[in-house]
Amino acid sequence: MKFFTPFRKKSPWVLHYNAGSCNGCDIEILASLAPKYDLERFGVINTGNPKQSDIFLVTGPVTYRSRERLVELYSQIPEPKVVVAVGSCTATGGVFRGMYNVEDGIDRYIPVDVYVPGCAASPQLIIDALVKGLEVLEAKSKEIEKPFKLFGAIETIHNKLSRLNMATKVEPHEKD
Amino acid sequence: MILVWIALAPLLGGLLYGAERMLRARMQRRQGPPLLQPFYDMFKLLDKRTLIIHAPHALLALAHFAVLWFSIAAIFLGWNLLYIIFLHLFAQILLILAGYSVRSPYSHIGSNRELLMVVAYEPVLILVAVGLYLVSGSFEISEILKTGGYLMQLPLLFAALLMIVPIKVKKSPFDIGEAHQEIVGGIEVEYSGVFYEFLYMSRFLEYLFIYSFVYLFGGESHWVGAVLVAGVFLLVNLVDNATARVRPAQMVKIIYTVAMALAVLNLAGVLL
Repeated sequence: MKFFTPFRKKSPWVLHYNAGSCNGCDIEILASLAPKYDLERFGVINTGNPKQSDIFLVTGPVTYRSRERLVELYSQIPEPKVVVAVGSCTATGGVFRGMYNVEDGIDRYIPVDVYVPGCAASPQLIIDALVKGLEVLEAKSKEIEKPFKLFGAIETIHNKLSRLNMATKVEPHEKD
Repeated sequence: MILVWIALAPLLGGLLYGAERMLRARMQRRQGPPLLQPFYDMFKLLDKRTLIIHAPHALLALAHFAVLWFSIAAIFLGWNLLYIIFLHLFAQILLILAGYSVRSPYSHIGSNRELLMVVAYEPVLILVAVGLYLVSGSFEISEILKTGGYLMQLPLLFAALLMIVPIKVKKSPFDIGEAHQEIVGGIEVEYSGVFYEFLYMSRFLEYLFIYSFVYLFGGESHWVGAVLVAGVFLLVNLVDNATARVRPAQMVKIIYTVAMALAVLNLAGVLL
């Protein structure tokens, strides 16, 4: 509804996921949530639950082990949603680029709205990125956003939209 | 007039919750969210897509909220205290059923812990009602508010009530039911959008519920009641900021040994 749209940027709830990061960016994210940088003044809550989140903060170059979970988590966030890639690794692969066990950034798998450079990204930059993400969040429609890879069909069960197979596992996908 | 207050009860609780988030921020020397933040959250949740697991799961949250609101209405109307306590217990049972009705293990653990919390605080709540009855001679809230001097006669019972306030408002050291770092919110884990909003608002009503018990100890004087509520509010938040979470079994043990002993001692003192 049109009336409620301005409130999106008043209460962005954050889901933080570590896709194989070295923990540097994660510590900076926690620092920006902690009292010194105090992200809660923008209404941010670190929910830890995809079903109640608006902003998806991802750190790390996507490792083979973490990509299923990444897509799973992304498809469990209800729309409207915004993805923020925190750190050089998440944007491009960083120092891990080209290695056999990483996927060179999350934008192979899910659409990214805001990139944050830096190794590790500083708390000020993360706050700026979140505020930028809020503008994107407010402009977005409630249309279903799909991950680029590893997803099955969006299907209807009993006339209702189902996300059950939106993110299928890697093995059955690679066989066919 | 009283009906207007009943209709506004969630708003009242929301303001209390917003004030609490501000207070906690000030205690940690940071700016914190604005006072109306809970309402921003509510409006935002209305704007999100909703993922429903199955219909009973979603409807149980709605029923939980409705029954809780009804028990708050009963408090405002000055009905029987025991009736209100059991109505509230019914609301909790609806919530626990909702937690068990989905397959998420976090939801199940949350339900288990919610049951433990009910087991811990329910006897103390009933003993509080009995204590108020022994002094005032009635279980009716409208009658209880006509006499005074509860704090002089029931100081230990008030301390017992003070110990179960953090359980009800889900604050440290007794926030085991929610425990975001361990079980991601427990029962609320599978809710989203509009139906999560009902759980979010029922949290506001829980605040009103338990703080109205604190208010009852003020008796006929509204000022004493208001001061008690403000003091307990400050104390609970101070303790919340200063302590870590205890284990579920420890919580039950602490409540059963300390709070129950205090309550029973006080009741025995009043009776003898």
